[in-house]
Amino acid sequence: MKNLVDFNLWTALKSGDLKAFSTLYKVYYPLLHNYGLKISNNNIGLTEDCLQDFFLYIYQHRENLADLNSIKPYLFVSFRRSLFREMKKSLKKVNFDKEEDFFIEINFSAEELMIEQEIVCFKQKSIVKLLNELSSRQKEVLYLKYYSDLSIDEIANVLEINYQSVLNLIHKGIKKLREKALLSELLKNIV
Amino acid sequence: MKDSQQGNIENLINDPSFINWANKTQMADVEFWNQWILDNPHKKQLAYDAKDVILGIKFSKKNLSEQKISESWIQFEDKLNALTTVRKIPFYKKLKYQRIAAAALLLISFTLFYVIDNSTKVLHKTAYGEIIDIKLPDGTRVKLNSNSVLSYKNDAVREITLKGEAFFDVEKKPSTHAKFVVITNDLEVEVYGTSFNVNNRNTTTQVFLEEGNIALRLNNGVQKNMIPGNLVTYSYKNDKIVEKEKVLRPELQISWKNGSLVFERSTLESAMRKIEESYGMTTVFEDEESKNTLITGAVPIQNLEICIKTIEKSAQVTIVNKYNKLYIRKN
Repeated sequence: MKNLVDFNLWTALKSGDLKAFSTLYKVYYPLLHNYGLKISNNNIGLTEDCLQDFFLYIYQHRENLADLNSIKPYLFVSFRRSLFREMKKSLKKVNFDKEEDFFIEINFSAEELMIEQEIVCFKQKSIVKLLNELSSRQKEVLYLKYYSDLSIDEIANVLEINYQSVLNLIHKGIKKLREKALLSELLKNIV
Repeated sequence: MKDSQQGNIENLINDPSFINWANKTQMADVEFWNQWILDNPHKKQLAYDAKDVILGIKFSKKNLSEQKISESWIQFEDKLNALTTVRKIPFYKKLKYQRIAAAALLLISFTLFYVIDNSTKVLHKTAYGEIIDIKLPDGTRVKLNSNSVLSYKNDAVREITLKGEAFFDVEKKPSTHAKFVVITNDLEVEVYGTSFNVNNRNTTTQVFLEEGNIALRLNNGVQKNMIPGNLVTYSYKNDKIVEKEKVLRPELQISWKNGSLVFERSTLESAMRKIEESYGMTTVFEDEESKNTLITGAVPIQNLEICIKTIEKSAQVTIVNKYNKLYIRKN
């Protein structure tokens, strides 16, 4: 169902329907806005400028866009690429071995985590700190899965890595988080 | 991460029944996977890892206000109108996007075809005291009574195997005249579009026809045709057939569908047998008098407390529930 709506919207938009485009904009702007803030480490100015330019680009090139069945991962990966380009420009840095990992430093704040967690040991206050100790890659994958609600396939498309790698990152990330959470609980009780 | 382990975590997190276990919904699924873990202790860690992946992290989503979104849209429109130049996309770039998209779609469609082609078995299970409604892929509606298992293969969705009790409301397929078949240990029921009840408990299968017509193929080779109101009981093990031409109170046969068992001047002994089937308990009569007491009325299938209280009142007995055994004594 969702993909049929996406497909019709995309087709209408491609033929120049501004109303269709505004629907797309109003749905995806807040999602990409939040994602942009996460990746750019809360740089509002950079995120919003980039987002506007991004949508402009999509609109201008609408006739040449591919036929899509699923808009969300496409928008996420394209936006990620363009934001990343802008971040590189603004930092004016070169010569990193793993450039990506260096730039993208995601940080979660305490307000972003619900107090009520399904995994019981995640309920403690220190969970944000432990979450931020994970690798950038793991943090981004966890964000895309549990905040942006992307499927593992979609995340693989967005990060341009394979399904198995995404699954690994999620699996290991959650497992690590659990181990750290249990350890910190243990230490608390000793003290 | 070993490859075989990886493959399994993928299966688990995509399995709807496993997801139910992780979220503690659907009792039948919870029991199934708890048992699976007991039967496969080496997979216990894997199951709990998969559960963690399913439960994940709960984020508090800060949504941008409607106002901010509208403001940015207005900004966008302004910028759009300000643009006077329309960039022309070079021909080769256009082709590149199209080629990538075509390759992606091709890959997706191949993968989809491969996944759908594999014939998998679908299983529906109910626990004691649980009644569920199922809609089969062909549109047939089934009500599955407690402690029952219904299964079919993806490539033969009108061939159902049943252990327990279910009521079928079969979708007629006039264009293909596709048969609908229910298989139990004792017999096969062949239908063309009909509603009927199949009860397969212990070593007997009982079929009650509400509407339409049915052909029964008993496992001893005999074929029986049924018309509405007929009740046939057959046990392959005992090779015994019992037929009733026209059941006087058909609604009593399928009262469980409404979540209650209805008794009309039934002995407490026979009533308790039906209750045993629904709740998975054993009855112990402490005196002869209580066994032969006649009761009339309805008791719920999904609430043991109320069921016991109702019977106590109706039959003037006291029932004590100890370790899943019901001890009955006349007041």
